[in-house]
Amino acid sequence: MTNPKPGMQVSFGSWLLAGVVACFAFWGCTQERQPCLTPKTASLNMEFVHYATDSATTTIDTALPMAIFGAITAPDTVKYTLYKSPSANFTISLSPDADSCSWLVFTDSFYVRPDTISFKYQRKLQFLSNACGFTYFYSLSSVQTTHKSIDSVLITNPSVTNNANATKQLKIYVKTGI
Amino acid sequence: MLRLAFSLLLLCTTLPAFAQATADTASSDTTSAIPKKEIAGHQFVLGIDIISPVRNMLVTGQNGYQFAADYYLHNEFYLAAEGGWGSSDVTYDDLKYHTSNAYFSAGFNKILLPREDSTDWGGLFMGLRLGAAPIQRSAATYTIIDSLWGNTSGTIAPKNFTGYWMEITAGVRVELYKGLLAGWNIRGKFMMNGKQFNDLAPLYITGYGRGDKNAVFDINFYLSYAVRWKRKR
Repeated sequence: MTNPKPGMQVSFGSWLLAGVVACFAFWGCTQERQPCLTPKTASLNMEFVHYATDSATTTIDTALPMAIFGAITAPDTVKYTLYKSPSANFTISLSPDADSCSWLVFTDSFYVRPDTISFKYQRKLQFLSNACGFTYFYSLSSVQTTHKSIDSVLITNPSVTNNANATKQLKIYVKTGI
Repeated sequence: MLRLAFSLLLLCTTLPAFAQATADTASSDTTSAIPKKEIAGHQFVLGIDIISPVRNMLVTGQNGYQFAADYYLHNEFYLAAEGGWGSSDVTYDDLKYHTSNAYFSAGFNKILLPREDSTDWGGLFMGLRLGAAPIQRSAATYTIIDSLWGNTSGTIAPKNFTGYWMEITAGVRVELYKGLLAGWNIRGKFMMNGKQFNDLAPLYITGYGRGDKNAVFDINFYLSYAVRWKRKR
């Protein structure tokens, strides 16, 4: 039984020291909760379109000038979001506490008669990660709307998840002239 | 990631064979085919990971203890095994649960540099392991925080499951004093059945690491004691 050769001892001693430093550096970085790098809320993305003419079969995007969306979170409670710049694409969320919810849609802030869009869906509890926790994903079963400025609604993708690159879930046809 | 693991496995298993074949060819040029006689004796090593107690003190809510053993076979191959146990508590505002597990892994180590004499037991090594851990997870409570619709809370039922993984390890070990060894290992670990964790992945699995990753890197620092005896001649 002999000790390693002096040259080997120096070499392996350096390796040992490197290992100790690496150990503490490694554990020093893993004490806190990891940051959540994915969206924690499932997004329902809508595209507003209209037919170019009454006889046209193709649609073009409808940029709503100053749209207002209101989530009906309780019978007498509406939480509004105002979009100040024109856009044809909007994102809303569904209620994780029920299997249905409704939104008010003002296609223009000067337009006082809102439409009500009602959603029915199934919820699926989804584990994202230990960093992000849980959320709900949804599967749309039906969408109904009033027809003040909205002509009709088409579900283009029933799956509502946190994937920002997913196909838009709704195509909303706006009446011509709005 | 598994492809990488298998490639490294192939490399690790074929390189020593290639080196041996080369050595055999070289020796056959000069001498007749004489079987190589094992010059080293027997050695059994038992070690404790001293990083684990340090980690238990530094990381809140996680506990673990890890041990390692190896036995010298021949031709610089060691039969190697590790085992341990531990637990973790997740106590975030929106997620709370407890997990505990034991684990066992077994495989081999191969010394990369040939020894210069039969009493030299230190060196650089590389190895492979297969690991398994039975895991118990308590009921988990969660809260989904939603500033628009309001928060939602619920409970996930407790669950038991077993995780299987493969490890590639490399490290160095030196003899500090007669029979007293120290050395570190770095380990690349690849979970083979991670899909079972989709409903709630354990934050920490003793012996593996973060349960929500299919590939993790880990490091151990072992303090070990060796028992040696001579081979029968």
